[in-house]
Amino acid sequence: MVRQLLTGNAAAAWGARLARAEYVPAFPITPQTEIIETLADWFADGSMPGKFVTLDSEHSMLTAAGAAAATGVRTFAATSSQGLVYALEVLYSVAGWRVPLVLVNVSRGLSAPITLGPDHNDVLAARDTGFVQLHAETCQEVLDSVLLAYRIAEDARVSLPVLVNLDGFFLSFTREPVEIPEADRAREFLGDFTPVQPVFRASRPVAQGVAVLEGGLYSYFRYQMHRAVQNAVAAHTAAATDFERLFGRRYGTIESYRLDGADVALVMAGSFTTKAKAAVERWRSQGRRVGVLRLRMVRPFPAAEIAATLAGCRAVGVIDQNLSPGLGGIFFHEVAGALAAHQVQPPVLRSFIGGLGGKDISQAEFDHVLETLESAHAHDGPHEAELLFTRTEWDQVRNRLALAGKTWERSAT
Amino acid sequence: MIRIRFHGRGGHGVKTAGRIVGTAAFLASLQVQDSPVYGAERRGAPVAAFTRFDSAPILERGVIDSPDLIVIADETLLADAGAAVLAGQTSAAAVFVNAPAGARLNEKYQILPPLVTWDITARTQAVLGTASALSAGLAAAAAKLTGLISAEHLLAAVREELRQLRATADVVDKNVTIAAEVFDQLSTVRFAPAASGIAGEVLTVGYEGVNLGTASILAPGNAQQRNTGTWRVERPEIDYDVCTRCGLCQLGCPDGAIKIEKNGFPVIDYDHCKGCMICAQVCPLHGIARTKEVRSW
Repeated sequence: MVRQLLTGNAAAAWGARLARAEYVPAFPITPQTEIIETLADWFADGSMPGKFVTLDSEHSMLTAAGAAAATGVRTFAATSSQGLVYALEVLYSVAGWRVPLVLVNVSRGLSAPITLGPDHNDVLAARDTGFVQLHAETCQEVLDSVLLAYRIAEDARVSLPVLVNLDGFFLSFTREPVEIPEADRAREFLGDFTPVQPVFRASRPVAQGVAVLEGGLYSYFRYQMHRAVQNAVAAHTAAATDFERLFGRRYGTIESYRLDGADVALVMAGSFTTKAKAAVERWRSQGRRVGVLRLRMVRPFPAAEIAATLAGCRAVGVIDQNLSPGLGGIFFHEVAGALAAHQVQPPVLRSFIGGLGGKDISQAEFDHVLETLESAHAHDGPHEAELLFTRTEWDQVRNRLALAGKTWERSAT
Repeated sequence: MIRIRFHGRGGHGVKTAGRIVGTAAFLASLQVQDSPVYGAERRGAPVAAFTRFDSAPILERGVIDSPDLIVIADETLLADAGAAVLAGQTSAAAVFVNAPAGARLNEKYQILPPLVTWDITARTQAVLGTASALSAGLAAAAAKLTGLISAEHLLAAVREELRQLRATADVVDKNVTIAAEVFDQLSTVRFAPAASGIAGEVLTVGYEGVNLGTASILAPGNAQQRNTGTWRVERPEIDYDVCTRCGLCQLGCPDGAIKIEKNGFPVIDYDHCKGCMICAQVCPLHGIARTKEVRSW
C-alpha cells in the first residue's frame, strides 16, 4: 500500500488501473481530461496492458465501451457534463444490453450559460438510464468506488454499467492523501472479468441490442433491468464487506454522519458534504443535535435505509446541488418519496438549493439552513425550495451585470 | 360502440380505409377514433388499422382486441399466424374478406362469425387499373355492414380522404364509383351488443436473471421462421435456359434468399425472397423475369 497525494482524476485513473481495465475509449472534456491523459500514459508505457482508443465524440465513446464490454472485455470510460448528456442515448442503450462497465463522470454544471464549476444536474440526467450510480465525497472514495463499481457491475445479480461520480475541481483537480492498494490485493478483491451472459465470440453468432416491437416484451426487459439495478444494493454490500476486510475502509449505500439521536438531519451528496460535516461539528460543540445523511448510492435509491435512518428526526433539510426547473431539488423529491413510501413523516421537511455551477455553500448558509430547520414547525404550511445565496454573491452578480452593460434596477425581487 | 379492425398489407390502403370510415362517421356527427399500426414500414408487410365510432364519448384507445367487424384486404393474411387477423373473432358480428363471392374460407381458416366476401380487387383493377389501393372498396364494405353510415357520408369521406392524399379528380371519381358499387351490393349485418366481460389474470413479475432479462438472441438463424416471402409484390423467376451460372444474382441478393446448387445454378428461396428484384437488375443476360405475384391483389 502506498499513500500519495492524488487528485480525484488521478484517483479515478488508479481505480481503472488497479481494476485492470483492458479497453479505454476516450474523448477529452474539462474537468475530466486528466483521467484519460493519465491512462494514455500508462497504456503507452506498458503499465496497463490493453487498448486505449481515442474516439470522435462521447456518443461514439460510450457505444465503443458498450460494444467492448459485450465481448467480455473489462472496459473503463470517463466523461463530464455536456459529454455525458451528449452520450445520454447511448447510456440507455448499453444499460439495456446489460453489459458491465464503469463510467466515471466528473460533475460540471450544464450549459447554458456555459460553466466549468460542478453541480449534479449532469449526472442526475443519467439517473433513469439503468446505470448504477455511486457519488464520491473524497479522492480516496473515488479510487475505492471504481473498484467497488466493477464488483457491482460484474455481479451476476446485476450485470449493468456503473457510473462513479466526482465533483469537478473540488475533487477532480484537488489533491489529498490517497491510499493506493497493492495490485495483488486489488486483484484479490476484484478477480478477472467472467461474463455472466453470452458474449460476442467468433463463429458463435448472437444478436444483442435487438428490436422489440411488442409492449409486453419491452415492459418485461425494462422491469428486469429495474430489478437488476435494485440488486446492486446486495452486490454493493457483499463487495463492501470484502473491501473492508482487505483495505479497512467501510462504505455503505448511504453515509450516516453523527445522526445518532439527531433531531435535525441534513441530506446531501458529493464533495460539498464535507462542508456540511464542518457545520455539524460546530453545532454539535454547541450541544445541538444535528447530523448529515450523505447519499452515496444514488441508483438504486436506498429508500428503505434512508427512511430508517431519518425515522427519529424532527426536521430534515435536503440540500440539492441541482435544480429541476419547475420542480425544485431532485433529491428532495426522491427523499420525500422514500419517506412517504416507508411511512416516515418528519414534522419538518424542507428543500434547499445550493452549490449550483460550483457556487460555494458557506458556513453562514449552513447556519441559515439549521436555524430554519430548528425554528420550523409541523404546521407552518407549504414551503418552496429555497435558493442559498449570500450578500457577497449578490453584490458580485450586480457587478457582473453592470460589466455586461445591463441597467441595474433597484428591486432585488 | 362499433369497433372495426382492418387488416391488409402495405399498399392495400387499409390505413386510408380506416380513415374513410372514421371521416364518414364524423360527418354523421358520431364520436370517432381511427388509427393505424405498422411495424416494418414496407410495401407488402402486414398492416392493421382501427376505427371506433359511437354516439357516446369513446373511452378506449389503441389496438382493438375485441372487434365488432374484421375487414381483411388479402386472403393470404389468413394463413399468416403472425398477422393474427382473426384474433378476438368471437366478438365479431361478421368477418369481411376481399375475395370472390362464394369463396369457401370458413372451414379452411376456421372463421367463426358470418363471412362476407366481395371481390374488391377485381373491381378496383377494372375501374382504377391497379390491384392495390383498395381503400374505397374496403371502407364501403365496412360502412355498409355496420348499417350506421349513409352512402352520402361515405362518398363524401372517400372524396375528402383521397383529396388529402392528393389524388387526381379522375382517381377520386373512380374511387367514389367503386365505393358506391360496394355499398350498394352488400347488406347490413346484425350487431349484438358487445359483451362487457373483463378477462385476464394479473400477475407479479420477479427477477429472472440477466440471460432471460436481456433483449438478445442466442438462436442463430431463427429469422428463417419469419416467412417474409409473403411481402412480395413482384416475383423473380430465373430462366435456366439463359442462366450462365455467373452467380451475380446470389451476390446481389440482400436477404441471402438465393443459393447456388451443386450444379452451379442459382435457386430462389421464395419463402424469404421479398421481391426487391435486385437479382433481375444485376443479371447480365436479363435472364430473370419480373412476374406479378399471383394473389388476391
